[in-house]
Amino acid sequence: MMNNPGWRFTILGVVFASLGVVIIGQLVRIQILPQADQILAQSSQYAGVVRTITPPRGQIFDRWGSLLAGNKTVYEVGVELEHVTNPETIALALSVIIGLDYDHVLSLASQPYSEDAVYARLADFVSAEQVAQLQSYTQQLDSYQESVSDQKPPSLSGLVFTPHLERSYPEGDLASNVLGFVSQDGIGYFGIEGKYDDLLMGDSVNLWVPEDPNLVEDFPDVPIGVDLILTIDRELQADVEEILDVALEDTGAIAGTVVVMDPQTGEIYAMVSAPRIDLNEYWRFYEVFPEATQFNRPVSRPYEPGSVFKVLTMAAALDAGAVEPDTEFLDTGIFEIGGVYLRNWNQEAWGPQDMVGCLQHSLNVCLAWVATELGPKNFYEYMLKFGIGHTTGVDLDGEITGFMRLPGDPEWHISDLGTNAFGQGVSANVVQMLMAISAVANDGQMVTPRLLRAVVRNGFQYEVQTQISGTPISAETAHILTQMLAVSLENETPRALVDGYRLAGKTGTADIPTESGYSSSATNASFVGWGPVDDPQFLVYVWLEKPVIAPWGSVVAAPVFREVVERLVIRMDLPPDELRLGMLGN
Amino acid sequence: MGTRKKRRKWLQAYKQAPWRNQMQFIGLFLLIVVFVALIAGVYLNVTARAATLGRQILVMREEMRELERHNADLETQLAYLTSVESMSNRAEELGYVAALPERVVYVYVPGYVGRRTAELAPAPGPVAASQTPLSAEFTQSLTDWLGDFFKRNLMTPGLTGGSHP
Repeated sequence: MMNNPGWRFTILGVVFASLGVVIIGQLVRIQILPQADQILAQSSQYAGVVRTITPPRGQIFDRWGSLLAGNKTVYEVGVELEHVTNPETIALALSVIIGLDYDHVLSLASQPYSEDAVYARLADFVSAEQVAQLQSYTQQLDSYQESVSDQKPPSLSGLVFTPHLERSYPEGDLASNVLGFVSQDGIGYFGIEGKYDDLLMGDSVNLWVPEDPNLVEDFPDVPIGVDLILTIDRELQADVEEILDVALEDTGAIAGTVVVMDPQTGEIYAMVSAPRIDLNEYWRFYEVFPEATQFNRPVSRPYEPGSVFKVLTMAAALDAGAVEPDTEFLDTGIFEIGGVYLRNWNQEAWGPQDMVGCLQHSLNVCLAWVATELGPKNFYEYMLKFGIGHTTGVDLDGEITGFMRLPGDPEWHISDLGTNAFGQGVSANVVQMLMAISAVANDGQMVTPRLLRAVVRNGFQYEVQTQISGTPISAETAHILTQMLAVSLENETPRALVDGYRLAGKTGTADIPTESGYSSSATNASFVGWGPVDDPQFLVYVWLEKPVIAPWGSVVAAPVFREVVERLVIRMDLPPDELRLGMLGN
Repeated sequence: MGTRKKRRKWLQAYKQAPWRNQMQFIGLFLLIVVFVALIAGVYLNVTARAATLGRQILVMREEMRELERHNADLETQLAYLTSVESMSNRAEELGYVAALPERVVYVYVPGYVGRRTAELAPAPGPVAASQTPLSAEFTQSLTDWLGDFFKRNLMTPGLTGGSHP
């Protein structure tokens, strides 16, 4: 046998075969062991990781494509405890560069490495500049470490930086009331950010990312957030903000609002609310706005508008045929309705007037009479058609509608008809007023105000269409009333006129209701106007709260309107009437 | 006995030498080993390449995300540089002043439609019907072709009873 070399092969074969059998046997045994499920679960932990993929938040642009809200890279700073060699250096560096508490960082970075303590988060939303500084120190200390024989040399070893995106507002406080803001947890609040939060945010997806590179093709693409193009004109917005800020300073008003809208499309070119905050410091919100409704006053602060409401009263009366422009009224300075005596703003009698005179002199007595001629049923039906008492549907977060008592309501009294006729006892927000008055400036058709011009999604741009929200009055009524208001403006409010442009408009001065009745010392001064009269391209609303130098809309709000129009006709390339009509003739 | 001797003789005459048998066995075994090694090698090669590509895809995805972040950073930086405030300051430094109504001159330019609003992406067009550059001969199945053939050649108006002008 020993002479036969085959036995060696046989032994070798048996050994290898036995090994194979043992391996296969072990494989089978593992499958049928009682602990098989446990082993499988353990192995699946290492097969991949669950990762939440948050797509970049969609950007917001103005109507010309200027970026109003974008994203920038910031970092989460943490330590991999296994690699930390000198926690004191880390604590010192972070306290000096980022301003973190030394002891807190030291306690986190000094944790011993274990299966349960692998990584400690030290700070988040750290700027790229600060991270660059830390990285530079890390390199310097690494090279220093090599050159010294110190047992525990200073080191930032273990410090890691994880990048992610944060919202950034390049224009600071410009249009801040329109944009709203995004908190550090990625949720949009107020304005466009709040209204279109779902669209902008995109869909965060929890994905199981396999460690096996052969399975990489299973990784799906995560759709990014939608980009929005607004109707806002950045330059005009800046102009109007500047004008309003100066007006607040000059008049002593505590707050103010100006909105510029296209009455034919509802596109809002500028929506200004003062005061404002730099959106990159949104955490100052409660410092600047004790009440959340103060953030975007045009939609969140309903108020009693006063005489600008007379536009709606007169529109309703003309449309219903209750009065005509030349209907005569003898103003005695006092009007009794339901046992309540109503007086004019100057407590005087203005004698015989036609309807143009009533608007021109803003006579409360006359308009209260007009409302009674119209009758409560018609009056309130028209007001409801104008959208008073209802939200407008403007695409901004936080719209709060005003109130209007209706016949049949327990609190309604017939005297409300008289006071409502000149804008007291009824409230509306500025955007509601704009929407209602757009009917007068747009051939009787009322447009829904909007801030969204287009949406960019999946590589395509979808335009938002104009929405007509009703036709409360006829085109003829609208034209007649516009002419009446143009005449009354020319005769009574020279402060609102702009050379070369024929405009229509109405002042408003309203007492402010308090718990103990109407305040005699403070008013809301307003002005609404539009032009050019023959083809209105803009509708401007001004509201100044509690002006000090004068209570009257004609004195403090009308000049703001004029300044806004002077700037916007240049921004809109709108030549003076004579020139424009001459060009059209060509 | 005589027959047994004869058979052994015959067997001895045709039996392979033991070393030859072993060599055949070893050869066969080696052949199998080489074959298995070849298959394993090919499998390993393909798997390794797939794994490398998979890893590259993961790295590229990470790079893509990094580039997206970088792009967002650059867009935002550009927006900061061209913000209303910076542009106003730069304009002032260059000696420009704000346009006042009395200094504005309007010129009629035939055909000028004014400033166009932002178009960041094309509008969604109508969905185009899919067109193939290949003629029907290359895409039709035999059954389709036969069906078409019969329709064209056999089902003429005369045969189907259609009206003649």
